[in-house]
This record gives sequence, C-alpha cells and structure tokens, in this order.
Amino acid sequence: MSVAIDTASAPAPVQETRSDRIVMICNYTALGLFTLAVLYPLVYVLSASLSDPKNVVSGKVWLWPVGFSIESFKAVFDYDSIVTGFSNSVLYAVGGALLATVLTLFAAYPLSRKGLPGKGIIMALFVFTMMFSGGLIPSYLVVDRLGLLNSRWAIVLPAALAVWNMIITRTFFQSTIPEELVEAAKVDGCTDFGFFWRVVLPLSKPIIAVNLLFYAVAQWNSWFTALIYLTNEHLFPLQLVLRQIILQSQFDPSQVRDTAELIRMKELQEQLKYSLIVIATIPPLLVYPFVQKHFVKGAMVGSLKG
Amino acid sequence: MRRDVKRRTFVAGAVGIAATGGSGLLSGCGSGAADTGAAPESLTQPVAELGPLKSGINYPPGYIGPKARRQQTIVTEPATFTVVVPQSLTVGDWAKNEFTRWMEQQTGIRIQWRQVAGKGNDPETMTKINAMMAAGDIPDAFLGITFTRSQLYLYGAQNLFVDLNPYLERYAPNLQLAMKDYPETPKLLKAPDKGVYSFPDINDCYHCRASNGRALLNTEWLRKVGLAMPQTTDEFREVLQAFKQADLAGGGKTIPFGGYKDAALDTFFMNSFLYNAGDPWLAVNDGKVEANYVKDEWREGLKYLHGLYADGLLARDIFTANEDQIKRYGDNPGGPVLGGARVYYWGTLMTLDLVDPKARWHQYETMDPLKGPNGVQVAPWDYLKVGLEVSTLVVTRKCKRPDLLVRWADYQLDLEVVLRSYAGPDFRWSVKGDKGINGKQSIYGMESWNTDETKGKTWDQYGVMYRSGDFRLAERVDPKKPTFESPLYEQTRDHLFPHRQPMERQFPPVTLEADQAALDAEIGLNLKSEVTGSLAKFVTGRLDPNDDGQWADYKSRIGQIGLQPYLEIQQAAYETYQG
Repeated sequence: MSVAIDTASAPAPVQETRSDRIVMICNYTALGLFTLAVLYPLVYVLSASLSDPKNVVSGKVWLWPVGFSIESFKAVFDYDSIVTGFSNSVLYAVGGALLATVLTLFAAYPLSRKGLPGKGIIMALFVFTMMFSGGLIPSYLVVDRLGLLNSRWAIVLPAALAVWNMIITRTFFQSTIPEELVEAAKVDGCTDFGFFWRVVLPLSKPIIAVNLLFYAVAQWNSWFTALIYLTNEHLFPLQLVLRQIILQSQFDPSQVRDTAELIRMKELQEQLKYSLIVIATIPPLLVYPFVQKHFVKGAMVGSLKG
Repeated sequence: MRRDVKRRTFVAGAVGIAATGGSGLLSGCGSGAADTGAAPESLTQPVAELGPLKSGINYPPGYIGPKARRQQTIVTEPATFTVVVPQSLTVGDWAKNEFTRWMEQQTGIRIQWRQVAGKGNDPETMTKINAMMAAGDIPDAFLGITFTRSQLYLYGAQNLFVDLNPYLERYAPNLQLAMKDYPETPKLLKAPDKGVYSFPDINDCYHCRASNGRALLNTEWLRKVGLAMPQTTDEFREVLQAFKQADLAGGGKTIPFGGYKDAALDTFFMNSFLYNAGDPWLAVNDGKVEANYVKDEWREGLKYLHGLYADGLLARDIFTANEDQIKRYGDNPGGPVLGGARVYYWGTLMTLDLVDPKARWHQYETMDPLKGPNGVQVAPWDYLKVGLEVSTLVVTRKCKRPDLLVRWADYQLDLEVVLRSYAGPDFRWSVKGDKGINGKQSIYGMESWNTDETKGKTWDQYGVMYRSGDFRLAERVDPKKPTFESPLYEQTRDHLFPHRQPMERQFPPVTLEADQAALDAEIGLNLKSEVTGSLAKFVTGRLDPNDDGQWADYKSRIGQIGLQPYLEIQQAAYETYQG
C-alpha cells in the first residue's frame, strides 16, 4: 500500500534557507568523512600490496606505496594452490549463483501467486528452515550419504537456495506483477510456463541481478563449507587458501622450535597478505558496477512488504 | 589364496570409507562395530629388526639421537592406506610431494592423502575432524592432526583409535631406541587405561625448554650506565632506574623494560619468589598439586612488579602491546629505546640482521633469573611438555594392518629420513671439523631449508620424526653466516639451565576423563581469565597488592570460580599419571 510520489516532475527549486544550507554542509561533511573511512582501508591495502614488505612491517606505508614492488604479486602466482583456489572460487561463485538464482525464481514465482494450493504450508516449511537447522553433524551426514562429500557439488548444492532471497523475490513478484496481468495473458491463451518465460522474466531483471549478486558474493566469501566438506586441495576455494596463509604464520611463541621457519612464515604472510586481499577483492569490484543500477531497485521493491 | 584375501583388505582399507561411512559413531560406538578392526595377521608378522649403520657420517662424541641405517622396504606387494593430513603451502599437493614419492619408493607403502584445510591444531580443523569421526567417515590414520591427550583417550577408549602398544613392541625398533634415550617417553605416551593411542614425535628443542623464563637486557646500555648484569631483584630495579635516568634513547623515549601480551611476565618475575612455570600455574610439592596464584609468594611478586610499574620502569603497554608494536620499539630507527624485554628470543624483539656482526640484536643478552629476597632463583625448565609430542600419527580401527603403518612411521625416525622429511633432499653430511650449533662436531648442514627451493619437497615438519637435542644442535653453522642459533643455545645453557627446578616439581601433561575434561576446561578458562586479569590490575595499580582487603577479595574470587574442585581434578590426574 505504498503511495507513489512523482519526483520527476517536482516544481523548480526554491530559494535555499540558511538552515537548509547548514543541513547541507553537515550532510556533505558527514558523508565525506564516511567515504574517507571506507576508502582509506582500500587504498591502504592496495598501497601495501605494491610496497616492499619491509616497509609495510615497519609502518612506513600509510597512504601511498613506499618502495614500489610487484614482487608480492609474482609470489602469489608461484603457489599452485592460490591459482587453483582462484579458479575454483570463480567456478563456485558463477555456477552457484546461476543455479541458486534459477531455483530461487522457480520457488518464488508460484508462491507469489494467489491461486497456489497449500501455499501457506509450503511457505511455513521454508520459513521453518530459517529458524531451525539440523546442525553441523546431521548436515554432514546428509551430504555424506548423498555421495557429495569431497566434490564440488558439496559446495554448490547445500547453498543453492537462501530462503531470505526467496522471500524478497516473492515479494518483488507480488508487487510488480499483478494478478490482472496473469488473467489478461490467460485470456489471450498463454500458459503458466509461457507467462513466466515471456512476461515475468523480462520484467524481473532487477531482482535477478540482485539474486545473482547476493549468491555470488556469498559463495565468493565462504570458506567454512569447503573446510567441512572437502578433503582435496584441488577443490579448495581461494578464501580457504588465504586463511591457510594467515594460520601458517601463527605460532605459539613460547614453542617456536624452529625460529628460522617462524621468520620465514612471517615474511611470507607479510608479502602475500595484501596482494591476496587485492586479488580476492577484484572480481566482486568488477561485477558490482554492472549490477548496481538494478540493485537498489530490486532489493527495495522486494522488501517493501512481507 | 591367503594373499588374495590380503590384497582385498587393502583395497577395502583404501576405498571402503565411502561404503562404510555413516555407520560409525552413531550406531557403532557403544557396541563396537564388528566389521572393522585389525586383521589377525597384523600381529603375527616377523618382528622388525634394526638395519646396519651407514658409514661415513661424523657423529660427535657422546652423541645421543637418531642414526642413519640401511633400512629394508616394508612391503613387496603394494599396500595402500588413506591418511588425513593438514593442508600446507610448503608441502603443496601431498600426492605430488617429493618426499611422498621417495617414501613410497623406499617403503613400498602407498598413501592416499586427504587434505584438511587448516594447520592441524586450530579449532576449525578439529570441527572438521569431529564431523568426520561422528559421521563414521574415518581414514586409516591421521598424520599431523593434533588431538589432545584427552581426545586420544576418549576415542581410544571407544575403540575408534588403535592401541599401538603391541605394535610398538614388535614393529618399531627405532622408537624403542629413542625411548631409551628419553626414558620419560612411555609414561608420557600412556593414557590412563595404559593404552597408547598414537605414534609420537620427538623434537627436543633445548632453548624451548627455557623459553618461558627468558628475558633480554641491553648490555651496551649496562656498560654505559656502568652496572653489571643484575643478579637480584634489587639490582635489577637499580639497573632499570639507571636506564631511566640516563635516558639513553634520548628525548624521554627510553623504555627501561618492555614486553608484549603473548609473553607472560610472571614466568620470569615470579620465579624470584617461587617456582612458576606459568599457565596453568600449577606446581607439584611433595606429590601435592598446588596453585601458585593464591600463595603469599605470588603476592610478594605482585608487590615487586607493582613497584616497578609505579616507578615507570615497565613499559606502559606491557600487557597490551602486540608483536608488531614491540617490534616497532625494537626496530626503532636511530637507536634502541628498550633497556630490556620479556620476549622469547631476539626475533620477537626486532628484525634480525644475521650478516652484520654489530647488528643491534647482539646487544641484548639473556638474563639470569633474579634472586629474590628469600633467595629463590629459578629458571622454569620444561622437562615434560617440550620434547615429546603425542598424536603425530593416529591409527584408527578402519586400518586393517596397523603393523605396516607403525613400521612406516618407525622408518621415518632414521637420521637420513628425518632430514629428508623436514629439510628436503638437499641436506649435506658434514665433514670432520665442521662445527655444529653447540660447538661440537656437526653431522649435517642444510642450505636450502626454509627457502622457496624446498617447496613441495618436504613434509614441513608434519612427518613422524626423532630429533633429539644432540641432533638439533649438530646442525652445521656456516662460519661466514652465523645465525642466532648458537648464541641462543649458549645463553640458555649458561644463564637458564643452571637455575632449573627439579623435574618432580613440574606439573606433567595429564590426561583427563571426558567429564573431567569438560569441567577442567570450564573452570580452567575462568581461572585463567581471573588470574591474568588480576595480575595486570595488580601490576598497573588498578588493584593494590599491598592492600590486605583487595588481596583477600582476589583470593575469594578465585575460590568461588572453583579452585578446590579444579585442584582435585588435577591431583587425581597427576596420580594417575604417576601410575
């Protein structure tokens, strides 16, 4: 029941008052500071990745690269597991996002229509899984019994539908595709499948984009599922390798039996940490601008009412 | 005929996990599943013998440790086992690793590796391992996965892990020799039910045994203020005051004594008042387990530290600084700012320049423990927790032939195999006259260890090894490129070892029953946070150790957390350990 406000044809701007201007200045200052707070770590990580690791450790790098070097990026590609990890992550993110988006659309559309019998029960079942889960061991058993353990499917399938996304998508359908449109199509002899394919999908680009992004980012960032279900290094995603590098450089300082090794692992970590973060951040950064224009629209419309 | 059966069991051992997976703990733990367990022939194979010694290796006189022998292949028929290992960037792909290939050629035993992400001792690795155990998705063995003693006992008592006792007697001649060198080993290995649920690793790191009591002092500064290395708590205070007054860093930047949060202060300072090995702060007194942190001597130690802090002789951030921060002080451009510090070795304090003989780290020298007002002067020496590691190789009941895995592990205790396992194939035998870390004849040297060259060639210390003290100290030191290893050894030998406490006083690593372990973990954690938190408060002045009321409050808080039941658990476990 939202009231549409026509912002496009708003009247010409009136003279700004003093208080308006103060509000404006405050706004810009606050937003500017906020931007800096978000931007600084990004710039720092990029600079650190392009600096001589020694300068990073000694704290000489604070904004721009000191002692420019791309050694750390070269070192990254020396490790096979990082390269395979990267391609695995891309595969999981793209494949997982596609599969999950398709499933989400298939589940959300019927649930958005009035005529579906047993709609309440199905919805309740979905929501139930948001509140309660079987826990780690039962999930592990299920994955094991399905024969998915230690395969790529163990990463993609258990995460193939997020109820939260499904609800947003359903709401999007409810509010953008009125029942009247279905009826009109039916009068013209269109089947349900035809309607979904020819009318619903073309009208739902924003929500598809949102779903793809949500799922892809979730897959890109996840490491725990991989840790639990995989025992083959060749299937590990990048995040798991990243974690490995950080873990390997942590020692119980009182029990350092091989100090030379400790020093080397520390150096390795300093060298690889920042360049790996840069590498791990690039794909989402590349994708985001293309999805962003749909993003606000899709997520907002979908979450208007529950 | 018999041979066919054998081969089939190997195949089952290797690939049968998926088939039997899921039937494990949930259904089988109480009854003990009948379909698994060692094959009967695994205990009737001929006893393994030691091979003849290889010649041409220069052992120093009186050397105790692994020796190089001519060893036989273990099997002529291919045998395959599934082993779970941690992932490691240094090892790379375990299946393609060079040492893996070498071991396979030498022993004939093939391993199918399953890699678990993590380091083998982090909580997430254990989550994964526990999920595997619960789901019955169990390999033939775990290598480099650090189960605690209590976990080993728990799973061992459930018959999930194999009791290796009978196998070690028959098939581990190298380990038997090593156990003669380290006589505490059998006691440390045994669970309360006398079972041995893992094949151990011996890594006797000399300087690690003393690392909790190590503090460094700037001798260059000592010379400048005209004082000698302090021997007593009072002398130490004078030295710090002199550092402060002289302000040798200039501009008031001098920090007389620093430290960081990962190096406990009490393991150095409290030993001027009573023997204190640090967390969990337990000591054995005539067979009785006692907690240090409620004793009057502890309070005296707090008063001393409180005084030092109040006079500005300890760094303000001594409890909060992290490793990066202490390193930044240590590396301070323009000259040292630290008079001394409680650190484990020079590398935590600063970036080490190993080439320049005048590099800054040479200024800092290990202090003797300080003699307290009552004449107490102890360097806590870790006899029991350093040296022997349990849980290096854990054989499960899925394994049909534990004898072969035990022989495979024992094979790795040979001198040459140890070197290949962690340093790679590029080690070199030393010639007569080469000096080792301890100044005696060296046995081996390794130029490429810990460089990119050994990537994919070693098992990154995850293998089963026997590295005795003599072995570790027999590594050749390049006279042109001396490392910190020799000074670290010498200073430990001269300043800390002479002040060690008797072994009976150390609280040993004990094994707890499952319910006790839960209680121990809970109370232990609360006690730890109370003790460390209050220590910091007492020292920094938020609490006053001279105030009887505040000390009594502290003791009553400790009592309420459950010191009494906690000590009872430890006492019982200690007595079980003593047998």
